[in-house]
Amino acid sequence: MHITEGFLPPLHAAAWTAVSLPFVIAGAYRVNRLMRDQPQTKLLLAASGAFAFVISALKLPSLTGSCSHATGTGLGAILFGPSVMALLGTIVLVFQALLLAHGGLTTLGANVFAMAIVGPWVAYAVLRAGRGLRAPLAPSVFLAAMLGDLTTYLVTAGQLALAFPDPASGIAGSLIKFVGVFAPTQLPLAVVEGLLTVVVVNFLRQYSGDELQVLKFSPETLAAEARS
Amino acid sequence: MKVRNGWLLLVAVVLVVGSVLVGSRREGAEFAGADGQAMEAVATIQPDYQPWFGFVWEPPPEIASGLFALQAALGAGILGYYLGFKRGQARDRRNRPDAGD
Repeated sequence: MHITEGFLPPLHAAAWTAVSLPFVIAGAYRVNRLMRDQPQTKLLLAASGAFAFVISALKLPSLTGSCSHATGTGLGAILFGPSVMALLGTIVLVFQALLLAHGGLTTLGANVFAMAIVGPWVAYAVLRAGRGLRAPLAPSVFLAAMLGDLTTYLVTAGQLALAFPDPASGIAGSLIKFVGVFAPTQLPLAVVEGLLTVVVVNFLRQYSGDELQVLKFSPETLAAEARS
Repeated sequence: MKVRNGWLLLVAVVLVVGSVLVGSRREGAEFAGADGQAMEAVATIQPDYQPWFGFVWEPPPEIASGLFALQAALGAGILGYYLGFKRGQARDRRNRPDAGD
């Protein structure tokens, strides 16, 4: 989902930066408040950021004979709420843009919007919906992380389609083309991301009950919330 | 939980390994990055588009692989520290005779 440096026209690049900036600022504010009010969750927050770091560094092969990488932003989003990931995801993307020539500074706003804003919000919304329907936790977490990952790539396809409408078939034609590039590659990777996220959440439920309690993530609290 | 996590990881590994096996049977499969393919698609839609901004710094290929490894290592290191720390904490709690829970 990394749009390469310079591959968005200046106007689009500026617009996506303007859209993303408030989310990142709100994310920084939220992280700051979290550190002050719930310092006992600091380590878990670092671990969630680290999860995104390692997952998005791995380019995994796909059934299609191409490769791509997962995003890893679902975990932090479902634990801490989506706004926190706007900041953590941006850190990942800046690291890759500056040191790895992956993504870019002019396209940072667009990439942040896809990976660090929409993906986490979708993951968070899917988890909340699952809890609302009293679905078991593990499948909800799986779907949340998987759909967050997939949506990230669909957003990127949309951003490219807006910037490069097909001369004959317009934005819709371009969208189909870009979705065709990303979606088949990404589908198995999104499943892998979903599985890994469930593995970490399973671990947290066994060993990190204290932090989950503080974050109101423990299944009991959420179930009670859904009932009321 | 233990057993289930093992299975989940196994499915993830099978999926990745299976992808390599199935993927490499495809014609012209070289596991090119989807990001790069998308930029090629841009070139087919608007052949005259020129990227207007270049990379601030582009690591030489050999160095790039190291930096990717560094990114993964940083992430895995912190994540592993957390997981180990929590396990140790749980064990200490269990071993304390006066533990309330």
